[in-house]
Amino acid sequence: MARAITQIRQNVLSAEEQQTLATSELLEELAENKEAIIAAIGVIKSLNNLKILDTIQAAVEKSEDIGVIAMQQMNQPTMHNVIKNGISAFKFLGSLQPGQMETLMEAAGHGLKKMSRTGEKGEKQSIWRLRMRIWTPEIRAAMTTMVDFMQGMGEVFLRNNKQSK
Amino acid sequence: MNEENISFQFNGKEYLAKSGQTILDAAREQDVFIPGICYHPNLGTIQTCDTCYVNVNGEMVRSCATKVENGMTVDTISDPVKDAQNEAISRILKNHELYCTVCDNNNGNCTIHNTVELMQVEHQKYPFQAKPYPPDNSHPLYRYEPDQCILCGRCVEACQDLQVNETLTIDWSREAPRVIWDNDVPIDQSSCVSCGHCVSVCPCNALMEKSMLGNAGFLTGIPPKVLGPMIDLTKEVEPGYMEIFAISEMEASMRKARIKRTKTVCTYCGVGCSFEVWTKDREILKIQTHTEAPVNGISTCVKGKWGWDFVNSEDRLTKPLIRQGDEFVEASWEEALQLIASKLTTIKEEHGAHSIGYIASSKCSNEENYLFQKFARAIMGSNNVDNCSRYCQSPATAGLMRTVGLGGDSGTIEDIMTSELVIVIGANPAESHPVLATRIKRSHKLHGQKLIVADIRGHELAERADFRIHPKPGTDLIWLNAITKFIIDQGWEDRTFLNNRVNGVEVYVQSLEKFTLSYAEEKSGLAKEDLIKLATMIHEAKSVCALWAMGVTQHMGATDTSTAISNLLLVTGNYGRPGTGAYPLRGHNNVQGACDFGTMPAWMPGYEAVQDPEVRARYEKAWGVSLPEEPGMDNHHMVEGMDKGKLKALYLFGEDMSLVDANSNHVDSAFEKLDFFVVQDIFFSKTAQFADVILPAAPSLEKDGTFTNTERRIQRFHKVFEPLGESKPDWLIFQELANLLGANWSYEHPSEIMAEAASLAPLFAGVSYDLLEGWNSQVWPVRDNGEGTPLLYKERFAFPDGKAKLVPVDWTPPFDPGKEFDLHLNNGRLLEHFHEGNLTYRSEGLTHKVPHPWLEVSLELAKERNLQDGSLVRLTSPYGHVEVRTIVTERVKEMELYLTMNTREDIEAVNRLTSSYHDTLTHTPAYKEMSVKMEVLEVEGESPLPKHNHRFGNRVPQISVKVEDKWMRDDFIPIEEMHELRGDEYGEGHHAN
Repeated sequence: MARAITQIRQNVLSAEEQQTLATSELLEELAENKEAIIAAIGVIKSLNNLKILDTIQAAVEKSEDIGVIAMQQMNQPTMHNVIKNGISAFKFLGSLQPGQMETLMEAAGHGLKKMSRTGEKGEKQSIWRLRMRIWTPEIRAAMTTMVDFMQGMGEVFLRNNKQSK
Repeated sequence: MNEENISFQFNGKEYLAKSGQTILDAAREQDVFIPGICYHPNLGTIQTCDTCYVNVNGEMVRSCATKVENGMTVDTISDPVKDAQNEAISRILKNHELYCTVCDNNNGNCTIHNTVELMQVEHQKYPFQAKPYPPDNSHPLYRYEPDQCILCGRCVEACQDLQVNETLTIDWSREAPRVIWDNDVPIDQSSCVSCGHCVSVCPCNALMEKSMLGNAGFLTGIPPKVLGPMIDLTKEVEPGYMEIFAISEMEASMRKARIKRTKTVCTYCGVGCSFEVWTKDREILKIQTHTEAPVNGISTCVKGKWGWDFVNSEDRLTKPLIRQGDEFVEASWEEALQLIASKLTTIKEEHGAHSIGYIASSKCSNEENYLFQKFARAIMGSNNVDNCSRYCQSPATAGLMRTVGLGGDSGTIEDIMTSELVIVIGANPAESHPVLATRIKRSHKLHGQKLIVADIRGHELAERADFRIHPKPGTDLIWLNAITKFIIDQGWEDRTFLNNRVNGVEVYVQSLEKFTLSYAEEKSGLAKEDLIKLATMIHEAKSVCALWAMGVTQHMGATDTSTAISNLLLVTGNYGRPGTGAYPLRGHNNVQGACDFGTMPAWMPGYEAVQDPEVRARYEKAWGVSLPEEPGMDNHHMVEGMDKGKLKALYLFGEDMSLVDANSNHVDSAFEKLDFFVVQDIFFSKTAQFADVILPAAPSLEKDGTFTNTERRIQRFHKVFEPLGESKPDWLIFQELANLLGANWSYEHPSEIMAEAASLAPLFAGVSYDLLEGWNSQVWPVRDNGEGTPLLYKERFAFPDGKAKLVPVDWTPPFDPGKEFDLHLNNGRLLEHFHEGNLTYRSEGLTHKVPHPWLEVSLELAKERNLQDGSLVRLTSPYGHVEVRTIVTERVKEMELYLTMNTREDIEAVNRLTSSYHDTLTHTPAYKEMSVKMEVLEVEGESPLPKHNHRFGNRVPQISVKVEDKWMRDDFIPIEEMHELRGDEYGEGHHAN
C-alpha cells in the first residue's frame, strides 16, 4: 500500500559544503592547467604594475557612459570626414594597379632626378629649345599621359555633377 | 526535349524548365541569380517586392509571376533590368535600415541582407523613412517593428493562406502602410494563434522572437543610448554597403561559433514537425523552421514554436528518488537501480513473471520503446507491455488492421492536401494537429477542396466546413453505415474496385440492411436530406480522405466505428490512389512508433504476433532467450490486475497515467495497491506521487533517436543539450537496469538499437540512421534498399491474398449513467497546452495565453441555469466530481458541455468524471461517453480564459496580401513605367572581376 506523497527530501548542500565543492573543483582545474595559469598570472601581474588593469576595470564599469561619450565624439562632422577620407584613401590605393603604379613611380623618380639636376645647374633654356624638346618622344609620352589623366578626372567631375543634380 | 521540359534562354544560354514553372523558380533551380525578397517557396508568388524584374521578349515582367514558355528569351543582366531591380530594392531600403552587425537577424539567413549583397547595391537611392508607429511589444513571445518592415507581405500570405488563421493584413490605405492584426488591435489582443508562421517567414527583423532580441549577436545587446548614434554614424560614413557587409558577415560567422543549430522533431502531437533549435549554452534562442522539413516546411504551431522552456525548468527531476516512509529521498543511480533490480527479481520469483506490468511512453523514441519491450520480454519474461495508444488510437489501428491490414495512415499529408474531399469525424485538428489542419484549410481556401466535418462541437474546421453535421453523441457508426448503404442502393459503389480488390462484399452488404435512412435519422438525429447530401458529396468526389480521432475512438463501439469508416472508403474505392485513404490522427509524437516498435501486449515490433512461433523463434535466436508465448496484459488489464492484487509491480515511463487514464479515482486506488512501483519521468508527475522509486529521465532535446509520425514517417532527432543534472536518456536507464539483471547489453548509441530492430522486423528492413541524416525521412514499410512507402495499398492490401476485407459492424449504444445526469460531457485537448500542461505551463507565454482549464456551456444552457463567463460550477458523475469555471460559447449546443483537460489539479481534472467503460475489443476507455449533473456554485467570477486569448479575436479573411491595393495607390509608380531609370554606368562599379 503506497499512498500518493509529495514530500521530497533533497540533499541540499550547506553553504560550506557548496564552497568546499566549488573550491575542490577550482583546485582540480588549477592543477590540470598549472603552466597556463602561472603564465597568465605573470601577464596579469605586469598589467597590474602598469596600472592597465585599473584602467580596464574602470572602463568596463562605466562602459555605457564611455560608449555614449565616444559615440558623441565620433558622431561629429569632422570625424565623419576623417573616417570618410580614411576609407576613400584606402579605396584609392586599392584601385591602383601595381604594374601601372610601378611605372608611374619610376617615371616620377626619374623625372625628379632630372629636375633636380636642372635646378642644380641653373641653366636657362631658350623658348625655341623648349619648343624643340616638345617634339621629343619622351616629352610627348609624358604630355599624352598628363592629358589622359586630366580627361579621366574630368569624366568623374562631370559624372558626379550629373548624379548630384 | 520531353513533354515535361520546356526549352528557353537565360541571357542567351539554353536552359530547361519544368512545365508550369515560373522564371524565378527555374532560375533558382539552375543557379541563375535573380533577386527576390517576397517570394518564398512555401508561400509562392506575392508580387510586392518587385526585385525580380526581368526582360522577357522585350518586355519587363516580374519573374515570380511569369511562367516559362517554350522558346522564351529571358534577360536578367542587361542594364535596364538591373536598373529596374535596383529601383525596387531602393524602395525596399526606404523602409528598412541596414544596421546588420547590430541586428539580431544577422545570422547568415537574412533575405534582405543577402539580396542586397548579391545585387551589389552600393547606396540607398531613397533615404530611410521611419514609420509613424511604435513597435508592438504586446505579445509575450514576438514583436513587430514597423520601422524595419518592408511590407513584402510574406507574413500576411503565411497567416492568410498557409496557416489560414486570417489575422494579418497590410492596410494599404493609410499614408504609411503597415501590417495590422485583426482590425488594428495590439497583437496580444488579436485572433493570432501564436503559430509563429509570420515570424519564420519574415525576410528581416521586423517580426522577431523576443527570445532573440538583444541576445543573438555579439553587439546586439548594446544599450539603445549607444546603439542609436552607432547606427547613425555607420550610415553617415558608410562608403557603400559592401564594406558594411564585410563586417556583418564576419560577425555572422562568429555567431555560428556561439549559436548551435540542432535539428529536432516536435513532441507535441503526431504530425511530426521538424525544425532547428537554436541555442546558446542551455538557453533556447528560437525554433527555426526550414523549407526542407518533409512534413511541415516552415509551419509550426504555438507549442512547437514556443513551448520548450520546460527543458530548463527548475522543477525537472535531476536525481533518483526513493520512497522512505512518507517522503521521497534523493539517492544515487546505483542505489536506485539496485533496489529496482532486487525488488523486480523477488516479485518475479515469488509471483511469476506475469505479476509485473510495463507501461511504455508514446513521447519517447522508437529505440526506447523497442528496448523497453525487449527488456519486458527478453529479460523479465513477460508480454505485459503496453503504451498510451490504448487511451487513444488502438481502436483505429484495430479497425484498419481488420479491413486493410496495416494499422497506420494509408497515405501522407500530401494525399490529404490533394484530396478532393476531406471528411473529418470526431477530431479537432486545428487544435490537436494544428499544422496538419493548416494544410486542409489551405487546400479548402485556395484549391477548392471540399470539407465535411462530423462533430458535436463547432470547432474551427467545423466552422469552415462546406457541410457540417452534428449527430447525437456516440452515433457515428449509424450514419456511416447508413450512407454506405445508400451509396450501394444507388449503385454508386466502385464495383470494379470491390470485384478486384475486396473480400466479403456480399455478407457485408447484407449486414447493412437495418441501416436505412429512417433508422439513421431516428438514432443519430440527422435529417435524411443531410444524409443524402453526405452520400452525394462522397459519390461526386474523385478522391476522398477520412480523418478521425478521439471523437470516434474513445467510445465503447470505437473499433467498430473505425471499421465502418474504412468500409465506407472501400465501398467507394477510396484507397490506394493519391488523395485517398484512412487517416486516424495520432495524438502524441510517437504513439505510432511506440506501437510499431512493439510496446503492445500481443505484437512484436512491426506488428508480428507474439503467438506466431516463427516470429518468436527469430527473436529468440537473436536475443538468446526463450520468449513468453501468450499475449500479455494491456493498460486496462493492468489496472484491473492491480485492483485485484494480481499485478504486484509496475514499471512506467513517460506517462502520467494518474491524470490521463479514465476514471482516475479508480486508477489511483489501484496504484495504492501495488507492492512496487517505478516511475521514470522528467517531472515529478501526479503518477510519480505513488511511486516507490522515481528515475529522472531526459527529454528529446537531451538525447538522440527517432520518432514516427502519424504518416508512418520515421524522422531523426538530435541531442541539443547534455541531460540536466544526473538525468539520463530512457534507453540508457533501461540498459543499465537490464545489465544489473544479467542482460549484458552494450548499446553505445540509439542507432545501434535501430539497426537491431531493422534486422529483426521486416516492416523496417531498410531503416537506417545513415538514410535519416539531415531532413531525410523514411515512411514504413521500408524495403531493404531503404525505399519507403508513402502511399499504401497501391496494388495490394496487407493480407496474404492482397485483398481488403469488408467487415460487418453493428452499433454499440453509448454508456448512459442515468437520467439524473442530464448534461453530456465532451472533453479534449486545446491548442495552447499539451494534455494536462505538465510541459507547456512551464512556458510563461503559453500560460499567459491560457492560464486555466474551462468548461464550455451553450447559450441555451447559460440562459437556463443563469451562467456567464467565469461562473463556478460543480460537475458530478457517478465516478467523481470537479469544480470549474465556465465560458459561454456557440461552439457547444444545448445540453452538451466541453471540458478542456489542461490542468494538474484533481478538482479540475476531467478524468475524475469519466468511467472505466471501454471499447469492447481494444479496451480503450470510453472517455467521450459520460453525462454529468451541474450545480452552480458562484454565478459571477473571473473568466478562466483571458480576453487576450485568440478565441476572442476577430479574424479578417482575405486572399493573400491584396497587392492590387498597393498598385492602386497614388504614390505607386509601376517600375516598368519608370522613365528615369538610371543609365548604363550605374551599378557597374563593384564587379569583382
